[in-house]
Amino acid sequence: MDDAALRQRLNDIFCEVFDDDSIRITDEMTAQDVEEWDSLNHINLIVAVQRSFKIKFTVGEVNNLANVGEFIDLIRGKLP
Amino acid sequence: MLTRDSSHLSYPELLRQSRSFDYSACIRGMRLAVLSDAAVPQLVPLLQVLLGQQGVRADIHLAEYDSIELEVFNDRSALYAFAPDVMVILNAINALRLKYYRCQGDRLQLREEVATKMAAVWDTIGVRSSALVVQSNFVLPYERHFGNFDHKVPDAFHPWVAALNAAIVERARGRANVLLNDVDALASYVGRKHWFDERMWTLCKAFCAFDYLPMVAQNIVDIVLASVGRVVKCVVVDLDNTLWGGVIGDDGIEGVTISPSGEGEPFARLQHYLLELKKRGIVLAVCSKNDPETALEPFRRHPEMVLREDDIAVFVANWQPKPDNLRAIKEALNIGFDSMVFVDDSPFERQLMRESLPDVIVPELPDDPSDYVRALSELNLFETTSFSDEDRRRAELYRENARRQQLRLGVSDISEYLRSLDMRITMKRFDAFHLPRIAQLIQRSNQFNLTTRRYNVAECQAMMSDGETYVPFYLKLSDKFGDNGLISVIILKREAPSLLVDTWLMSCRVLARGVEQYAMNQVVKFAKAHGYTTVVGSYIPTAKNAMVKNFYEQFGFERMDEGAQRETRWLLRVASYTPQEVWMEENHG
Repeated sequence: MDDAALRQRLNDIFCEVFDDDSIRITDEMTAQDVEEWDSLNHINLIVAVQRSFKIKFTVGEVNNLANVGEFIDLIRGKLP
Repeated sequence: MLTRDSSHLSYPELLRQSRSFDYSACIRGMRLAVLSDAAVPQLVPLLQVLLGQQGVRADIHLAEYDSIELEVFNDRSALYAFAPDVMVILNAINALRLKYYRCQGDRLQLREEVATKMAAVWDTIGVRSSALVVQSNFVLPYERHFGNFDHKVPDAFHPWVAALNAAIVERARGRANVLLNDVDALASYVGRKHWFDERMWTLCKAFCAFDYLPMVAQNIVDIVLASVGRVVKCVVVDLDNTLWGGVIGDDGIEGVTISPSGEGEPFARLQHYLLELKKRGIVLAVCSKNDPETALEPFRRHPEMVLREDDIAVFVANWQPKPDNLRAIKEALNIGFDSMVFVDDSPFERQLMRESLPDVIVPELPDDPSDYVRALSELNLFETTSFSDEDRRRAELYRENARRQQLRLGVSDISEYLRSLDMRITMKRFDAFHLPRIAQLIQRSNQFNLTTRRYNVAECQAMMSDGETYVPFYLKLSDKFGDNGLISVIILKREAPSLLVDTWLMSCRVLARGVEQYAMNQVVKFAKAHGYTTVVGSYIPTAKNAMVKNFYEQFGFERMDEGAQRETRWLLRVASYTPQEVWMEENHG
């Protein structure tokens, strides 16, 4: 999967989970930037990404994410 | 209950639906409290949308994480302030296992303490609230510290949890306000390997893997719906290639397949499954495109048939469209379409039924008959919240009814017919022995029900003890064909100088026998004897109770006014009541 496709798919997941089609993800984006990004939806986001990309995160990986850019790197590193 | 198959139990899909679900079509509301020692906020939208799909708008109070005892033992907690109809308690094995590991003393004693504490939670709720408690059991752990030898060591983790579940069941059995949510059955069906998501437990104290959270929600919804009387009462089955292999009209009695093993086994197994349902009170009916004599032949003559003619309450074999026949079966049994399940191997017939009668439950059947029972079982269509002697005898009751109808056809004068039944009636105040059946009838009666107030066992018990306010009666009827059991409930409320009819309901099995005429005489007699000058009744219309719209009018009540919810209120002056003619003897003793 190339970088653009990965970003597009992740963007779709963000729109779905946060119920907002206007979201455009950026590398610098954090939970502060999205209104609906609370702890409950954070889990829903992790669950949706794991399901969509058929990957699994460790607890440490999830807890150490600083922004969306790191999230994208993490996903890319787990894809075959 | 699921109406077709479980494919819609997808977590992301249900979350999506929950955001835009339109609850305006819901016909009733319900207040649910959810308490857990896991974090279950995700359960809330799932419960809301699954209940919404069944016409129930749920207000949900989610207690703080791990606050079960805190909320329950504090009588000023937000839990009681919310005044829930149902309290859902979910206990996670993930939370319990640390207590088990940390216990340095007697672990068998710890098990006893856990079960006793749980019962104390239920009993405290029972004192402070009339809410129904829906308590989960524990999912059996995958840890096997002794391997296969586990089961020989009573305090090894796995057998310890199994025994704890048994102890919970034992305590729940004796408590009418508690129903069990068999979460372990769900986990074992899915497989514990998939059920547990330990990373999500570490991360956010998730109750189970998110993929299976909808199953947990659906299981709770099934119990809650059954507790308000939404239960299946009848299964209507097709014959050819459903109840046996082959087509009786073409293949003949020697040609159809049904046998204890081989290709006919799945059909025998389905028949056994249906027979078990019949034994627990679900009525069986047949709806088949066949000539009646041909269709009956296997029931009468095939040596391997499990079901016999006597097991089928209504047998319809003709060439009419099946939806027409379903209507006839519904009329014969006096039940609602939404309490009927239609089992047919033909996708065409299933689709036609769904389009013609959308309230009838039409499960998808798999291609291979080997999977029929599994497909039906998976849907958990036959949830119930009680099991009484009435249930055991129900099929018999319907057959007796059919015989009464035959007698009726032979008699021209209705009063002569009623007299010929040799009816015996009992009208008594509520007693502890009859409470489960009383509550069951209150939950299930839809048609002959003036106010449709759904009291549960705890509330009935409270009315039984509160003689200052309530005068609650039940009625039992028997006749020469058999015992109909407890068939009517009348709850009167003292509001001097009036006697208020809070609840008046009756099983439709005993329609037009003069039970209500007898009962009204007794109610007025009671009013007179205790100095009440008027009896006031009300009728609250629902989608199903139009048959009693003119109930009070026929007894000479005068219409007073209209209340909320299109309620009409009716007044009778005790002094001007004309006693009704009755056709039954009072049963003493």
